[in-house]
Amino acid sequence: MSRYSKQTIRELVAGTLPWHQTRQIMSAYKDDSRFFTYLDVLQERVAWKDRILLPIGDHLFIAETPNGRVTKCECGQEFGHYKQNWKLGAHIRVRRSEAALREIYPNSDIPDPEWMEIREFLCQSCGTLHEVEAAAPGYPIVHDFEPDLEGFYREWLKQPLEAEEARR
Amino acid sequence: MLDHAKARMPLRERLLDSERLMAETGCYDGITALRLRRQDPLKFETLHTKLRAFCVSAREMARRISASPGVREVGEMVVALYTPEGDAIALSNGIMVHVHTMSRFIKWMIREGYEADPGIRPGDIFANNDAFIGTVQVPDVMDVVPIFHSGELIGWAGAVCHELEAGGITPGGDVCLAQERFTEGLFVCAEKIGTNDEIRRDYVIRCERNLRMPIYWVLDEKAKVASCIDMRENLVRLVDEIGLDYWKQVSKEFIEEGRLSQLARTRQLTVPGIYRGHTFYGHVTAGKPGFQPLGDPDWLYNIPVEMEITTDGKITLDFEGTQPWGYHSMNCTPAGMDGGMFVTLTQHMNFEGLVNDGAWLATELKLPKGTWTNPDNEMVATATSWALLLPAYGVFQRLLSRGFLARGFVEEVFVGQVNSPMIEMGGESQYGTLFGMAHFECAAAGSGALAIKDGLDTAYVGWNPESDMGNIEIWEQNMPMLYIGRSILPNSGGSGRYRGGCAFISTWLVSKSSHLRLVTSEHSSRVFDNGGLCGGYPAPTCQMHRAVRDTNVGALIAARKPLPHTIGTDPHHSDLEKLVEGRHVTDEGPYITAPHKSGDIFTHSYNGGGGYGDVLERDPVKTAHDVENGFLTAEAARGVFGIVLREAADADRLEADLEATAILRGRMRQDRIAASMPVRAWIAEEAGRVAASDFAPEVGKMHANAMRLSRRFASDFRSFWGLSEDFTVSY
Repeated sequence: MSRYSKQTIRELVAGTLPWHQTRQIMSAYKDDSRFFTYLDVLQERVAWKDRILLPIGDHLFIAETPNGRVTKCECGQEFGHYKQNWKLGAHIRVRRSEAALREIYPNSDIPDPEWMEIREFLCQSCGTLHEVEAAAPGYPIVHDFEPDLEGFYREWLKQPLEAEEARR
Repeated sequence: MLDHAKARMPLRERLLDSERLMAETGCYDGITALRLRRQDPLKFETLHTKLRAFCVSAREMARRISASPGVREVGEMVVALYTPEGDAIALSNGIMVHVHTMSRFIKWMIREGYEADPGIRPGDIFANNDAFIGTVQVPDVMDVVPIFHSGELIGWAGAVCHELEAGGITPGGDVCLAQERFTEGLFVCAEKIGTNDEIRRDYVIRCERNLRMPIYWVLDEKAKVASCIDMRENLVRLVDEIGLDYWKQVSKEFIEEGRLSQLARTRQLTVPGIYRGHTFYGHVTAGKPGFQPLGDPDWLYNIPVEMEITTDGKITLDFEGTQPWGYHSMNCTPAGMDGGMFVTLTQHMNFEGLVNDGAWLATELKLPKGTWTNPDNEMVATATSWALLLPAYGVFQRLLSRGFLARGFVEEVFVGQVNSPMIEMGGESQYGTLFGMAHFECAAAGSGALAIKDGLDTAYVGWNPESDMGNIEIWEQNMPMLYIGRSILPNSGGSGRYRGGCAFISTWLVSKSSHLRLVTSEHSSRVFDNGGLCGGYPAPTCQMHRAVRDTNVGALIAARKPLPHTIGTDPHHSDLEKLVEGRHVTDEGPYITAPHKSGDIFTHSYNGGGGYGDVLERDPVKTAHDVENGFLTAEAARGVFGIVLREAADADRLEADLEATAILRGRMRQDRIAASMPVRAWIAEEAGRVAASDFAPEVGKMHANAMRLSRRFASDFRSFWGLSEDFTVSY
């Protein structure tokens, strides 16, 4: 079974691992130890101490905090309980004019703003762009991911989480 | 103990029995333990590898028999072995779409009583391209032959080739003008097309008289039959070696192992839970010649996808809330939906190539009746089902990738495939003969980005895992057009920390033909049909078609003046307009116009993939290389990515100004925050527009249709916008 050092996973996540090594990792059988090594790598990247339970974006995590299990930006900004759609606690910028779309698509054909808009969901504290939705006007904002966090830790990782209420 | 009585049961009873056992035990054919695998794992695995080798070598042989550049160059075919009941045991590489589509075809014949009439005997050849029986679209023509041993049916060999010409209302196979099945081309509805290993002469005559270029179809038939016979003979020899009883048991265990492997792989790579995503598809047909007035001319489809992964590892994809079937060619059947599921799974989870119908048993598709995913009318057209299938399964790729990312397997995160605008043509060839063909250079486009690197440039589509655009010279041999450009489209990958792969554009000069009909299917440029991930933007919409008729290109060539090789990067003034005189035409959506003739110029572009991550985190040094090599423009580097480039003082090249970049990006971040507002405030502001149904008619119709077809969608919609229980969007 494959197993990689924390340094290797750190470089892999950062996109700085040399291609030949990355290619080997892609081709090899997956390392079952990956998840917790990955969490260690991510945990050392953030300035806050709350335990990361699950990454759900490039800079977005479900973390165990004094406020419960919340979705949290790498900068520390919290977006609410993980069972709620984090987007509702973030900021949005909507591109629905030709001029606004042309800023991102300078030379290409762009969508018809009557048919489609771009919704940028970003962190109000650090300005990180966490997600972009391309949707027809009026389409409800999508809740991308509702992980079965407890089931995952209990059934797949065999390391059950304490009941959330007990930690508050 | 092996149940010998089963072998004597009519096939239909065997099929029903197998399904009953699956329902009762939860295991394929009631196999609750992999007995043979446990007894001798090496023998077990070696046999499975051998079966796959039979398939791979049969496919390679078939590609050399085929005349079609689609099969020979691009590899648009796959072959497979099936159980007597029609469950896939092993497949070659190739278009993995058909793991379960051929399975549906075999099972359909069994359920329809083919064993009695027209009979299933040694040497028989059956063919099908009816998507309601079991394929994706008319050009996907599949052949199967039964395999007998000691007088007993022990399995089937099957092969599929994607035909370049299907005899529809327009040349090619993805017939976008088809609004009902009656204009899609030559249908072969689970027919016995041969006996004693020979294709029937009357079938060949039917093909020759109903296709514009029968050489592709007929030689592909021979290629498929040859590959099936090759697999059959190899399997019979193998069963001679291992014994019939062993084969019957091991072939079933392979499938149960496939089911268990799929469940285990899902548990290993993902996180259980509910994943959601959506995409859109827009089509503009108003005023286009040839479209029958059966449905509304322009329309917008939403494609919401909800994926559930349970803790036992089962994946369920639910398409509730999607649009109704329509009088257009983009409808899809459940067989086609299976195809999309499998071609995605084989590339993202079943890397080792041992996928079979066991994986199908570990997944589930919820396809609401009456929608484009499961039409309740078998007369609808499905000729360009990929138009909706590809965006839908692009969402599936992004949903899976979210699971891979959560689990830490960042090297597998892949923003996904793109839609593949198809160009087809016919009329008079450069040899003065009737011709018709689909151009398959669309088998290479720009992929979505990965979570660790940029997407693949001009090298990937989801529907053909071996993506290959084919050599220019091969295509030029087959069509009366000469390439004057095949170029990267700058900025065509979605922006992000890692950008999507760039697409390419082809520019042709029509040559030696006074009648060339060009038809493209799929896409308007009105919407994005695939997205980005984790802050990455979608790739640009499909480019419009640009053509120049009655050009002065002959004079330009004689005067050795520059020719256009692409459309350029000025959205308001293309290189064609700058360099060539003539009648300039720009067309949105499907391209269907009067025929072209020698001297005309035509351009067609493909799609790039979505980006991954925040654009302001993109590596400035890599971006300098991208700009130098034409993948990005300097304008995009600065305006989109916030990267300042400058000419290197001591070399003829660009370099990134890291300090200036950091300052610019800091400013852009602040501008972002300043230009944004809290999401809840935006929802409150937007709710008025929704309540007033203040939408373009196509958007309003889309919302209304989704609400009419899905109670869940309607309820979510009303609750999200705070609307009353009886609210419906009007249009």
